[in-house]
Amino acid sequence: MKQILGNLFTIGFLLSISLTSAAAENEREPFDDRYCTTCHGADGRGNEGVQAPRLAGMEDWYLVRQLENFRAGIRGTHPKDIEGIAMQPMAAKLTDESIADIVQWVGSWTYIPAEITVEGDAARGQQLYAACAACHGQQAEGNEALGAPALAGQNDWYLVTQLKNFMADYRGHHPDDSFGQQMRTMSRTLGDESGVRNVVSYINTLAER
Amino acid sequence: MAGVVTRREFLNLLGATGGTAAAPKAGTALGLLPGGAAAASLDLLGLGSNQRKVAILGGGLSGLTVAYELAKYGYDCTVLEASHRCGGRIFTVRHGDLIDEIGNRQYCEFDDEPHMYFNAGAARIPSTHRNLLGYCKELGVELEVFINENKTSYVQDKDMLGGKPIRNIDYTTHMKGFMAELMAKALSHEELNAPFSESEAETLLGMVRSFGDLSEDDLYKGSFRSGYASGGFLKHGVQKDMIAFRDLLKTRLGRQLLSANEGDTGPMLMQPTGGMDRIIHGFLNHVGDRVKYRAMVASVQVSDSGVEIAYDQDGVRHTLQADYCFNCIPTHLMVGIDHNFPSDYVKAMKYVRRGEAYKAAFQAKRRFWEEDDIYGGISWMANPSRQVWYPSHGIHKEKGVVLGAYDYGGGMYHTMMTQEQRIEAHLSDGENLHPDYRNLVEKPITIAWHRMNHMLGCSARWSRNFRQGWTHEEEELYHRLQQPVNGRHYIIGDQMSMHSAWQESAIMSAQWAMADLDQRVRAELA
Repeated sequence: MKQILGNLFTIGFLLSISLTSAAAENEREPFDDRYCTTCHGADGRGNEGVQAPRLAGMEDWYLVRQLENFRAGIRGTHPKDIEGIAMQPMAAKLTDESIADIVQWVGSWTYIPAEITVEGDAARGQQLYAACAACHGQQAEGNEALGAPALAGQNDWYLVTQLKNFMADYRGHHPDDSFGQQMRTMSRTLGDESGVRNVVSYINTLAER
Repeated sequence: MAGVVTRREFLNLLGATGGTAAAPKAGTALGLLPGGAAAASLDLLGLGSNQRKVAILGGGLSGLTVAYELAKYGYDCTVLEASHRCGGRIFTVRHGDLIDEIGNRQYCEFDDEPHMYFNAGAARIPSTHRNLLGYCKELGVELEVFINENKTSYVQDKDMLGGKPIRNIDYTTHMKGFMAELMAKALSHEELNAPFSESEAETLLGMVRSFGDLSEDDLYKGSFRSGYASGGFLKHGVQKDMIAFRDLLKTRLGRQLLSANEGDTGPMLMQPTGGMDRIIHGFLNHVGDRVKYRAMVASVQVSDSGVEIAYDQDGVRHTLQADYCFNCIPTHLMVGIDHNFPSDYVKAMKYVRRGEAYKAAFQAKRRFWEEDDIYGGISWMANPSRQVWYPSHGIHKEKGVVLGAYDYGGGMYHTMMTQEQRIEAHLSDGENLHPDYRNLVEKPITIAWHRMNHMLGCSARWSRNFRQGWTHEEEELYHRLQQPVNGRHYIIGDQMSMHSAWQESAIMSAQWAMADLDQRVRAELA
């Protein structure tokens, strides 16, 4: 009984705190953490104008992992990772609850095929993709068990940027980013930027249209 | 005869270095000047019973100009504003206001007093921006003088005089003196003097002497213009020690110092009494009921018969059907919104780069600059914070709001920092001007336009090469984007001008689009 009363007291106390702060904040402009579409475009379609990738269609588990990586500074802290640096402070403010809310919100968006913007040799890219397929799947559909996200359907310019970032050690450099480190090593098999463009051109052929 | 410069050649040389660009304007100066700042006079066709619906995307200055004007002529306007406030980069920050930077939300904690505000975006109105001034007059927006250049403010560079700040007047007086001495020497050379008649040469030399306050032997030996070391009222003034020319050349700030008072930032500059957003409220007094807030556009589909807009508000997707659409959403955000624009139009949208300008401000616990004879104006520093602005308003009140940093060119240096790092950078930069700065200021705010929610950028940048100006391709892209899609969808805002970052440009882009619309409507109704 004493325990219950104690708990009731605590609850009453917490309630009064939250109401006070709510009252104080009532005069101020409210906000939430649903900022995603400002950068990532309407319905999370991605926005080339600010180099923010497509979120619609992204797997829940991958989204959570990346948001947590950004939040912890595992991603988006290398000074040359221009886009990652823009994302990192946003993610740093997120709570577990707001991450869950965002993931649920992202899940409500309909996937629309991304515009093709990258030119490359898809036939050569297909050969290069053989090394990628082991983790990302034959159709670039992703593989949760291996922690590899789907690539098909992502904005091609974003894939190019990220592959180049992996190759240059701008992404995957953090010791706690084991998947990123793996990807950093694998990206070397592409050789150079033309290899990147070729493989991305091939991935473009795999996306639903 | 080689080496002798003829009079004609000399004048041609003058023309080539500065005269040609100025020539067309000289015509205006010679009697073609239109009348004073008359209210913007758009002569649109009144619609009468011919109802037309207009969707305005974005409640910035250009969007509100369209809403205000078209409402006068019988159009049914709806403004969709993505954020909680109208005005875009016309943003006056006061007590309690939300600064909605993505990843760095701030609430302003300035004292709640009318003069304690900060114009975080547009801050200056030149007297030649007559369309803007016309609206200020029409909307009853009270104006006051804005002090841009202040001769008692400081100039500071760690490479000049051991980093000790000097007064703007010391820098400019001595620099002009030394420059005048050089010019006077050049004028005494036969060859250079040759193109001028005796009377012209005399006039020019007299002007040069006066410009630099030269002594009778055409040397610069210091000047009382920079004030007195002592005396000057009840006793004769004692001249200050001169600063050596070489020392002044240790800083590159002179480039800005000698031009800060020219062009768009030349006198007379003005600001609305109480904050730049008085202009926005002036428009909202008339069309405020037309604005839907927190209404974020998701899709713009243009057809031959109109424009269909989808937007999200309160978690619900709405549809708005309109006959015409005026869109001041920044192009770099419009790229990420569903649309059916033609590919050359999209190419132009994607070409425009977003600006990176950055500002910061502090509340000053007391108006310490007034104790240094500074009333308004700008101090210049050769460090990343670049400038400190002292408020032109609230003179002799207890407190004031100072601008603690303004990076108008780059801005990413501070944008990439955490809030704590930004503030520390401005405090330590400002200490170079005011040794006790750190203790004199409080309640900082920072505005990184590149990360502001629903804007993600400062003024649009069309030209990729600042020095060489616009390329032919850039001109073509610009003119493509200015043309409406199907005669239905117009992009407006200062982004749709060749002089972005000014309110006048936003208004004129809106007026251009409305005049174009008017022609089409007249043709339809004829």
